[in-house]
Amino acid sequence: MSDLTRRGFVKSSAGAAAGLTVLGALVTDQAEAKVQAHEKHPIVAYVKDPRTGEISVMTGEREVHVRDRKLAAQIARATR
Amino acid sequence: MSSHREAPAISKDPVADNTDTYAFVSPDDPGTVTIISNYLPLEAPFGGPNFFEFGDDVSYAINIDQTGDGTPDITYEFQFTTEVLNPNTFLYNTGQITAIDSPNWNRRQFYSVTRVRGGRREVLAANLPCPPCNIGPASTPNYADLAEQGIHEIAGGHTVFAGQRLEGFYVDLGAIFDLGDLRPFQNLHIATMMPAAPGVNATNDFGVHSIALKVPTQELTRGFFRPTDPMDRRSVIGVWASASRQRALIRETGSGEVQQAGDWVQVSRLGNPLFNEVIVPMGKKDLWNSLSPASDGQFLQYVQHPELASLLPVLYPGVFPHLAALTAARADLVAVLLTGLPAGVVPGFQNNTGTQYADELRLNVAIPPTTNNPNPLGVVGGDLAGFPNGRRVFDDVVTVELRAIAGVTYPLVNKAYVPDGAASAITDGLGAASTSYLPEFPYLGTPQSGYQTAPLATV
Repeated sequence: MSDLTRRGFVKSSAGAAAGLTVLGALVTDQAEAKVQAHEKHPIVAYVKDPRTGEISVMTGEREVHVRDRKLAAQIARATR
Repeated sequence: MSSHREAPAISKDPVADNTDTYAFVSPDDPGTVTIISNYLPLEAPFGGPNFFEFGDDVSYAINIDQTGDGTPDITYEFQFTTEVLNPNTFLYNTGQITAIDSPNWNRRQFYSVTRVRGGRREVLAANLPCPPCNIGPASTPNYADLAEQGIHEIAGGHTVFAGQRLEGFYVDLGAIFDLGDLRPFQNLHIATMMPAAPGVNATNDFGVHSIALKVPTQELTRGFFRPTDPMDRRSVIGVWASASRQRALIRETGSGEVQQAGDWVQVSRLGNPLFNEVIVPMGKKDLWNSLSPASDGQFLQYVQHPELASLLPVLYPGVFPHLAALTAARADLVAVLLTGLPAGVVPGFQNNTGTQYADELRLNVAIPPTTNNPNPLGVVGGDLAGFPNGRRVFDDVVTVELRAIAGVTYPLVNKAYVPDGAASAITDGLGAASTSYLPEFPYLGTPQSGYQTAPLATV
C-alpha cells in the first residue's frame, strides 16, 4: 500500500484513536512486508577486514556497502 | 585454445568459460552483423545424462564499444532459467524429442535477452526456448530441424539462437601444448626430430554452447551511423563477450541447494582469440578475465614482447634467425590486438579505434562480406572481410596469429624488416575443412550426437 493511500485511509477513519490503531497496524504490516521481501532471498554480510568497519550486505542482485565499526567488530567477535 | 580453459580459475568453471567470440557482417544478410559468443569448452557429445547447458547462475554478455574507449556502449545480456518437467526420473528425455516444446524433453532451458544502452535496460525477449543437446537418433531424430526451432526473430529486427553447436574453432592442441611441436614442422623441432606430419584437429566432433545474435548494423554504430566508407572511423566497432557470476555463493547444508547474492562480477571475457591464452602470463590470466578491455594497457608489455616470439627460435633452431634478432617492441601486434590497424597500412582498410589499448575484436562494418571463396587467413591472406577485421567462424586464427607472432606482420610497421621464410609458412596444419559450418544463421555447424560419436582415438 502506498503512503498516499494509507494517509487517505487513516483520514477517513471514524475517530482519532481508531485511526492511530489502524495506522499502527499498517506500519507493522509494511515492516513485515519488507521483511517478507527479504525472506525471498537470504542476506549475506561480508566483512573483509573488521578493522575498517566496512560491511558489504548482499541480497538477491542488490549489494549495499555500510560502514559500522561496532557491528563489524561484533561480527568478528562472534567468529572467535 | 582460442580461450578454452585458458586461465587457471575459469578452467574449473566451464559453464562460464567464454571460449570463442566471432563478429562479422552476415554474408547472407549484409545489412546486419552477427556476433557469436561460445561457452562450455570441449563438450563430449555423449556427456549425459546431464547433458550440457548454460548456467542459470551466470550472466552472459555481448559488449559493443562504439567510441574506442574500451568500455561498452551497448551490452546484450542473456539470462537463462532451467525447467524440469519430471524430477522423479534420471532421464534427460523420456521419449523422442521431435519439437522444441516436446513434453518428452524433461530438462529444458529458456532465456531472456536484455539490451543495455545509455544506462537504460530494455528486455528484447523473454522465455525463449533453447534446443536440447543432440543425443542420438533415438532421442533427437532430425536434429538439424529441431535445432532450427531455436532460432528466434525478436524485437528490433534481431535474430537470436542459444544452444549447442559443433565446435567451429580448429586447432592441434596436442601438438601446440607439447612444447609447440607443430606436426608439419616437427622434423625441425628441437625435441622430436620426427618426420613432418599433417595436423590433428583436437576439437574434432566436440560441441560447444553458442549464443548467436544478429543485429541491424546501424544499431551497433556510433549515432546509428550508416556505414558506407571503410575509412570512416565510425565504421569500426569493438566487440567482446563476457560472463559474470554473483559475488557471494553459499552452499546450504543438507539440502544440496546453493544461494547466491550480490553484484555481478566478471569471471571470463574474450575479444581476440588466444589473447589471454598465449599473450598473458599465467600469474595474470585470472586478473585479465576480471577486467574490462579499458584496463588492457597493463598488458601492453606482453603484446610488445610476446613470450612465444622468443620461444620459436629456441624450439626450431636455425629456422627463425630474423625473429631471434628482433628485439624491438612489436608495434604490429599492438595494432592488430590492442588498437586496430590504422589507415595507410593495408590499402583500403582500417579498423583503428584510437589510442586506448583494449583487447577487442574490431570490425569495420563498411567492408562487405566476401561471399566468393573467402580466405580463412583473412586480412593477411588479402581478404579484408576476415580476421583481424572482426572474426568469421571459419577463419584460421591459429595460423594467422602464429605467423603474426613469427614476424610476418612486422614489415607493416618497419619495412626494413625481412621476415624469416618460415614465418609465412608456419601453421598447425589445419584449415577450415577441419570442421563444418552452416551458410546461414547461426553459421556454426550442427553438433554431433552422442550416439554417433566415437571416443577419442590415438594418433
